[in-house]
Amino acid sequence: MAELLTVLSNPPLKVRGSLLKVEDLAVAYRVDGINVHAVEGIDFAMQAGATLGLVGESGCGKTTLARALMGVLPTNARITRGKVWLDGVDLAALPEAERRAKLWRDLSFVPQTAMNALDPVYRLRDQMREVLCKRGGLWRSAADARAAELFSAVGLDPSRLMDYPHQFSGGMRQRAAIAMALALKPRLIIADEPVTALDVIVQRQVLDTIRGLSTDLGLSAIIVTHDISVVAYLCSIVAVMYAGRIVEFGPIDKVMREPAHPYTMGLMNASPDLERAGEDLVPIEGSPPSMVEPPPGCRFAERCPFALPACGEAQPPTMDVATDHRAACIRIDEVSDLRAQAREASTWRH
Amino acid sequence: MAALIEAFGLAKHYLAARNLRQALRGERRVVRAVDGIDLLLEKGESVGLVGESGSGKTTVGRLLLKLTPLSAGQLSFEGDFLDRMDRARTQRFRQQAQLVFQNPFDALNPRFSIRRSLAEPLRNTGVDRAEHEPRIAEALRLVKLDDAKRHLEALPHQLSGGQLQRVVLARALVVKPVFLVADEPVSMLDVSVRAGILNLFRDLKERLSLTAFYISHDLTLVRYVCERTLVMYLGKVVEDGSTAEVIRRPAHPYTQALIKAVPRPDVDQPRESLPITGAIGDAANPLSGCRLRDRCPYAFAHCAEVEPPLVEIAPGHRAACHLHTKAIT
Repeated sequence: MAELLTVLSNPPLKVRGSLLKVEDLAVAYRVDGINVHAVEGIDFAMQAGATLGLVGESGCGKTTLARALMGVLPTNARITRGKVWLDGVDLAALPEAERRAKLWRDLSFVPQTAMNALDPVYRLRDQMREVLCKRGGLWRSAADARAAELFSAVGLDPSRLMDYPHQFSGGMRQRAAIAMALALKPRLIIADEPVTALDVIVQRQVLDTIRGLSTDLGLSAIIVTHDISVVAYLCSIVAVMYAGRIVEFGPIDKVMREPAHPYTMGLMNASPDLERAGEDLVPIEGSPPSMVEPPPGCRFAERCPFALPACGEAQPPTMDVATDHRAACIRIDEVSDLRAQAREASTWRH
Repeated sequence: MAALIEAFGLAKHYLAARNLRQALRGERRVVRAVDGIDLLLEKGESVGLVGESGSGKTTVGRLLLKLTPLSAGQLSFEGDFLDRMDRARTQRFRQQAQLVFQNPFDALNPRFSIRRSLAEPLRNTGVDRAEHEPRIAEALRLVKLDDAKRHLEALPHQLSGGQLQRVVLARALVVKPVFLVADEPVSMLDVSVRAGILNLFRDLKERLSLTAFYISHDLTLVRYVCERTLVMYLGKVVEDGSTAEVIRRPAHPYTQALIKAVPRPDVDQPRESLPITGAIGDAANPLSGCRLRDRCPYAFAHCAEVEPPLVEIAPGHRAACHLHTKAIT
C-alpha cells in the first residue's frame, strides 16, 4: 500500500482537538409558509481518522444534517442556529463563495446513487480532470496520473478511466464516485447511503473499499445510513438519530453492546441477523411524530415502552452514560434494568 | 402434500437491442432472464427466491403469475397449464394468484380511498356487492390494521409506509387467494416497521394456509418467512434446500458468498474478504459451463466445459456445482 499513501494526506489540525465539531445546529425547511425544523439541537464532535455512522430511519433528518454539514441544502432550507466547525473554521458562518471553495478540497460528498455524481456524457477521465485541474490546479498529465492512482486505491483498473459511466456496473460507479470524492485529499468525506442501491456482494466490496481507506490511510468519513449493520461493519463511532435529534452518540462497540437509549435498543431488536437463528424480529409499534408539530417532550415517548408521564413534558437533556457515550433519556440511571427488559419481545407489545 | 405449481424447463428470453443503431436495423440479442428452471411448490409451502439484481428472480415471479408468456418449458397451476387456460380458467386464476408489490407508495392509486382500492379487486372478480363491506373489514383485520374504520376513508398519502404495505397486502388477500407472490415486500420500509410486516407474513401463511413465493435480494429477510429457499444466479437455480440448511451449510460457492456478504448488527462480526469477486455476468451472453466460473475461486477446467446439474447433496438439499457432482461420481 506504500504507493497509495499519497492518496490521502492528513495534515495536522490547525486547531487542537476535533476535526469536526457541531454545536447546537438546527435546520428548518420553509413549507407552505411555516418553518419545519427537520434537525434540531445537534451537538457532536469527531476526531480525524474516525468513521462516524449517522443512522436513523426515513425522515429522521440524517440526510438534512449531512447536507447542512456540506452546505448544500435545498433552496427552501436553511441553518437557523448553530455552528459547524471544520478544523477551527465555522462553515455555517462563511459566505457562500468561500464555503463553495471548500467543497472537494476540505470536504467532499458521495451521493446515494453514483449516477448523480457522474455525468453520463463524459469519460471518467474527463470528469476526474475537471475536479483535479479546475479545482485542484493540476496540469492534465499530473491529473491523469493522480486519477489512475485514485482508481487503484478504490480497486478499479486505471484503464477504465477511458470508459463512460454507463459502461460501469453499479458497484464500479460507486467506487468511481468515491475516487472522485478523494481527488483533492479532503479532510472529511460525507457519504449518503453509499451502498443502499447495491446488491449484497457488491455492497460488501464497496464497504471493504471504504474500510480499507479508513484503516490504511486514515480517511475521516461520515456514513449516512438506515442500516445499523452497515454502521457496525464500518464505523468507529455512531450517532443514532430520531425525529430530527441525536438520541444516542458514542463509540460503536459501546453503543451496540450497551445501548442506552430505548430507541437504539428497539432498533437492535428489529434488525435482522443471519446468525441469530430462530429469534423473532421485534418491531417498534407506531411511527415517528409529525415534524410540523413535534411533541413538546421526548419525541420517542409515544412509541417507547419505558415512557413516564414526565417524558411528555420536556425535551430530555443529553446525559453521559460513560466516557464519550451520551444519550438523551431521562431514565438513564436505570439503563441496565431497561436494557434487560428491552430484550424481551413482550416489552415492545403495547 | 399436493403440488400447487409445477414447472419444467421454465424459460423466459427477451429480445433486446444493445443500442439505437442495432434497434433500427432490427438486430436483437437474446437476454436469457430465466433459462431453464424446474420448480415444485407444494400447497401451503412458503418458498423464498434469492439472488442479485439481474439474476432473473422477478421474471420468475411474473411467469408464475402469468403476467408474461413463457419462452419455453411447462408451467402448471393446480394441474392446469398456464398457457392453455381458457378465459374462464384464467379469470379464476387471476383471483387465486395474487401479487404483493414492492413499493407500497406506488402500488395504490393516490386518488382512491383505501376502501375503493380494496373494493376494486372484489368488483373485478365478480363478488356480490353486499359482500364487499364484510370482506374488506375481514382483510383489514387480517393485516392487523387497527382502527380500520378510520383508515377506510383515508387516501394513501395520509398513511405511513408500514400502514400502506398492510393495505397492499389486504388488497391481495381480499379476494381469498391460494397463492401469493411477494416481490421485495419490505425493501422500501424502515427497519422498525419491517419487522412487523415480516411477522405478519409468517402469521398469515399459517392462518390462511397460503402458498407463498417470496422474492428478495436479502437472504436475511427470507429467513424469517420461508421454510425453503432457492438461490438464483443468471437465470438458473444454483441451490435449493430448507432455509435453515441453506444458511447453515451453504453448498454452492455463490450462496456461501451471499451469506458472508451480509453485514450483521454486531461489532465483532468477521470481516474477511469474500470468495466471490466481480459483479454479475451478462444474461445475453452467459459463460459456457458454469455461469459463475469467472467469479468463483474454486473453478477448474471441467467448469468451463459442462454445465453443472442441480443434484441432491443431502436429503432435500440440492446444488448445481461440480465440487459436489465430482464427489458423487
